[in-house]
Amino acid sequence: MRTRVALVAGKLSGGISRFLNIGGGSTFPGRVARFFDSGFVHQIEGELPKGSILITGTNGKTTTATLLADILDGSGIKPIHNSTGANLMAGIASTLVRETDLSGKLSKEIAVFEVDEATIPEAVKETNPRLILVNNLFRDQLDRYGELDTLAKKMKEAITKANSEVKIILNADDPLVASIGSGIEHDVFYYGIETPRYSKRKMEHAADSKFCSFCGAKLRYDLYQFGHLGRYHCVSCGWEKPETSVSAIDLETTGMNGTICMIRSPKGTIRAKIPLPGLYNIYNVLGAFSCALCLGIEPEGIIDAIENFRAAFGRLEEIKIGEKKILMILAKNPAGFNEVLRMLAEEDQKMDIMLALNDNIADGRDVSWIWDVDLEVMAGKAGKIFCSGIRSWDMALRVSYAGLQEESLVCESDLSSALDIALKSIPHGGTLFLISTYTAMLDIRKILAKKGYVAQYWEM
Amino acid sequence: MFLRICWLYSELMNIYGDRGNVMALVERCRRRGIDVEVETRNLGERIEQGRYDIFFMGGGQDREQLAVAKDLCGKKGEIIRDEIENGASCLAICGGYQLFGKFYKPFEGDELPGIGVFDAYTIAGKKRMIGNVIARSQLGGRSGLLIGFENHSGETYLSENISPLGMVEIGNGNNGSDGKEGAIYRGAVGSYLHGSLLPKNPSISDFLIEKALLRKGSLLSFTPIDESIEENARAQAIERARKSH
Repeated sequence: MRTRVALVAGKLSGGISRFLNIGGGSTFPGRVARFFDSGFVHQIEGELPKGSILITGTNGKTTTATLLADILDGSGIKPIHNSTGANLMAGIASTLVRETDLSGKLSKEIAVFEVDEATIPEAVKETNPRLILVNNLFRDQLDRYGELDTLAKKMKEAITKANSEVKIILNADDPLVASIGSGIEHDVFYYGIETPRYSKRKMEHAADSKFCSFCGAKLRYDLYQFGHLGRYHCVSCGWEKPETSVSAIDLETTGMNGTICMIRSPKGTIRAKIPLPGLYNIYNVLGAFSCALCLGIEPEGIIDAIENFRAAFGRLEEIKIGEKKILMILAKNPAGFNEVLRMLAEEDQKMDIMLALNDNIADGRDVSWIWDVDLEVMAGKAGKIFCSGIRSWDMALRVSYAGLQEESLVCESDLSSALDIALKSIPHGGTLFLISTYTAMLDIRKILAKKGYVAQYWEM
Repeated sequence: MFLRICWLYSELMNIYGDRGNVMALVERCRRRGIDVEVETRNLGERIEQGRYDIFFMGGGQDREQLAVAKDLCGKKGEIIRDEIENGASCLAICGGYQLFGKFYKPFEGDELPGIGVFDAYTIAGKKRMIGNVIARSQLGGRSGLLIGFENHSGETYLSENISPLGMVEIGNGNNGSDGKEGAIYRGAVGSYLHGSLLPKNPSISDFLIEKALLRKGSLLSFTPIDESIEENARAQAIERARKSH
């Protein structure tokens, strides 16, 4: 009964917030439902016949979860999915409110939840997961998450307590993530990139996890894919990158168009044309592939869905503005930002770039991280640069230190004005590459929606 | 004119974008026509006496800080301390600042010895001090203000013999109780502020460069350089800190 009251209250509050156009419809109903019944998620989620899948990691949660939801959808299993990036418990509860009718019946049979890294302990307790996937752990918003080692430890503790039938899916190339799978009772399934085709010999500046989680010695790397992801071993205690069940054994990038990839799994090797650029998206694809395989879906069906994939919210969205277009890219920490730059730097053309930096809680209030971003790789590639957002001048300062043509640097903190200026100054048929932090991206979408260019985010 | 910067533990103590401080030192030297070279010194690598004009060390995670503390004890720490006594300049941020004091006392276990550049000590605190900081300081440029972001739980206390870098107007600073932020001794500056500190506080960069040049016997008069972006970034960050406080 209490759950029913919570459900009705949640649904009402969602209607009201949409009616008043106050936005944030993605978490408000869940907050209300959990207020009326703290066991709301547990009650409703328990009704799902095929249970739920929790997807976490610093980067790529939304893309991986959306990929998996698409794959499930394509094979006839309708998933619930918190698709707007609302990945705290309130967001998960809101998704359940939306997908349940007033009699308490769920419309679908399985749930794919992307979950904030620090929320994993709560999520494992309140849901009944079938699979838990950890994609990577990079430094991100240290003011909120604290240190990486502590975060990984808490995650492992939570997973240890989970039902022993839960399968754990881990990125083997990330030593901190891989260490979670060591010494636990659960079935662990590893994925990774096994080809040195695009790897490096040297570690990037933003690399984070350099020590063995078991003996504390420095890890030795044979190669790096990016950041601290790669093939590593510990010379002191002998711990090494675990063997992978699903892996990319060959890769061929086609610039911004994506990557052609050979994926090996216990079901054989299959070729996939991944329509998303960048090595980081290979990991997202391998993660989603592994989950789908564990759920009994055949590789052909998985690849079919992947090849027809459209980028998730703010992860490389193309928006047409008359003759011009905006390519929106979310970058919220140094590792993600550096991968975006690495991808852009591969292009042959000069690019007009807008960088939007906010310092709200969801972005991380400390903007120091922009100094770990290697903007220098854009030397010779950057055309006009526009800096915007609450901390536009911090970004402008970073750009000026990177030596990127100071004479064509425009700084305008108001996002709407900055967009107008930027769009006016790019040539006809041109593209504005817009790299933005999370809350700045939400604001930009609102501004573009007002002008009639994109759907409001809760409609997605 | 030539300066050589020693970036201590660049691999381990580089959390929170502390690299921006090294970039700022290099860029300001470059704009003034001073040749500059950066060398990194990591675990197990020795420091040659007389080779470096400016030392820099950032912050790290607990585990990394422990490894660095071990590495610094003995000869290596002694050399750095002597160099600073002899007029080298130095910037130590957060974890680096703590290790440049006399000791760090964790909740459990033994005291971690520091190299004692600053007559100060740090004890583990229960509360994590996180947020924007504004501090009044002689090295705060025309407005007399330092701006940065703190994120630490260690509480640092200075002895009477040593001056703070500034006095907090917003934020916690060294320990959240005595109003002091950072420390300054000869050419050495210690601070809890990230941001990175130097790009938005160019007067501290100039102080470090000036001290290093002075030791080499050079009395270069600093011509003002264009700081309009720096000034705008300072103004925006100060306004943000005051508003969200």
